[in-house]
Amino acid sequence: MGGEKLNITRQSACLGLAGILLAGPALADDAARIRELEKKLERSMQRIDELSAKVQRLEQGATAAAPAADQEARVEALERRVGQLGDGISRRVLEDNTLLRGFADVGAGYSGENNPSFGRGRKGFGVGNLDLYLTPQIGERVRSLVELNFEVGEDGHTDADLERAQLGYAFSDAATVWLGRFHTPYGYWNTAYHHGAQLQTSLSRPRFLDFEDRGGILPAHTVGTWLSGSVPAAAGQFGYDLYGGNAQRIETDAGRRTLNPMAWGRRDSAYTAGFNAWLEPGAVDGLRLGLHGLRSTIEDDAAAPNRTRLAMVGGYGVYQANHWEVLAEYFQFGNRDLSGGSGLHRSRAGYAQAGYAWGAVTPYARLESARLDQRDSYFLSQYYGRSYRRGVLGLRYDLDPRAALKFEFANTDQRDLGAANDRYNEARIQYSIRF
Amino acid sequence: MAIRKTFLAASAFAALGAQADGYVIAHLTVNVAPEEVRQIFTGNMQFSGARRLVPVDNGAVQGDFLYKVVRMDPDRYNAVWTRKAFREGVAPPPVLLSDQEVMDFVRRTPGAIGYVGTNPGSANVILKY
Repeated sequence: MGGEKLNITRQSACLGLAGILLAGPALADDAARIRELEKKLERSMQRIDELSAKVQRLEQGATAAAPAADQEARVEALERRVGQLGDGISRRVLEDNTLLRGFADVGAGYSGENNPSFGRGRKGFGVGNLDLYLTPQIGERVRSLVELNFEVGEDGHTDADLERAQLGYAFSDAATVWLGRFHTPYGYWNTAYHHGAQLQTSLSRPRFLDFEDRGGILPAHTVGTWLSGSVPAAAGQFGYDLYGGNAQRIETDAGRRTLNPMAWGRRDSAYTAGFNAWLEPGAVDGLRLGLHGLRSTIEDDAAAPNRTRLAMVGGYGVYQANHWEVLAEYFQFGNRDLSGGSGLHRSRAGYAQAGYAWGAVTPYARLESARLDQRDSYFLSQYYGRSYRRGVLGLRYDLDPRAALKFEFANTDQRDLGAANDRYNEARIQYSIRF
Repeated sequence: MAIRKTFLAASAFAALGAQADGYVIAHLTVNVAPEEVRQIFTGNMQFSGARRLVPVDNGAVQGDFLYKVVRMDPDRYNAVWTRKAFREGVAPPPVLLSDQEVMDFVRRTPGAIGYVGTNPGSANVILKY
């Protein structure tokens, strides 16, 4: 028996080492390690069979000479060990799924934009994002999600962003609590696609929903806590998100005022809070309908800071089935000026996009619009906080389920620039993959 | 004549194969309703009581299972799990390659639930499809 214990300990150590190796950074050897792990798992299963056979023999009285009480204790001990081996395998299955996943995209484009505020549009080839994320499965209830994004800025330098660093605990399907930096769960697009260019049908995001430094006017990232879950309901599947965290701040970066998620905390106490509730009706497969809201106190970095009570509510509908993908989101703002006394300012933004997949080819179209009150310091302070309208036509071709080639043409009517309002065309091509 | 008989036999065999039943099986610790299987394999249901569920795919009969039970084609199924993993940090089910591997895995893994194309004998059958 002592030898068996030693063998089991060695096997457990080998399996543990295999698990650590598999979760390690040398992912190029994953396939070989998985094969090795499978072999070791198979040896463990054989060991379980041997132990089970021993249990059976003991139960059948093969060791009748031993005292009955002693025999009973040995049988129980063996059963416990077999059970523990089973639990160990279960845990390893959960843990061994730690793979590095990600997205990458490259492309080329032409932009006819030319105005005093945003300058001349870019032309030529470009590198998009390299986005890497890990979802280590640590035990049955501990969740973790880490995402690192590399992107080339307009100055040509490569920036690395810790996009997400969130650790969570799943109490049940109805409640998982996260802590850290996460994609703010407003609407649909921001959490469904974010940096996953290959995931989204279109080449571009709606501009007002883009990242804070790329044209977005909403806080796409929050540092704080997030409660989410879903439960079956009479009408279908109901899900929700409740979140709160540091209020974002409008700060100047590379000469542009954009939203900063304040990942290192704030000196004052200003917070963001929001909700998102959705229903997937059982009667219509592929449909999701949702409502969401966000409230925050945002200030900018002017010498006499402008402070705004940001209040946003919205709704969305998504249909993804029968070769169709239809997305529509609407955002309504009722922002109150807290520092200048100019009162309440109402603005709105929204988009609707539809695509239909004919095999590997998906043509799509999108209309988007943002009417942003320029008396509202929340928008006025932001570099991209100007009204616009845009029409987009595109074609996606799936070279593989994990690789897409996209062509997109957009016409933008840039407003709120006074006499310099600009109407321009853009054409872009993008090659994107996920892995 | 011999060719025709061979063709008929092959057709009959193929037809039998096409009509073969599938079985969703689970570890003895798993107590879920048949209608919950779709939710489990799309990541919407990850717990059965206090027990974390461990769904496992069977590469040998995955297409049939996805079509009949999950009501998705493999591409959409993979896309659903990619989005699930990206948004919620949930790992997709591991893929095993045969009925025997799935039966062994389910028998030995608390919380496991999988599916096979052959009669699993005395296994804990949740759903026959």
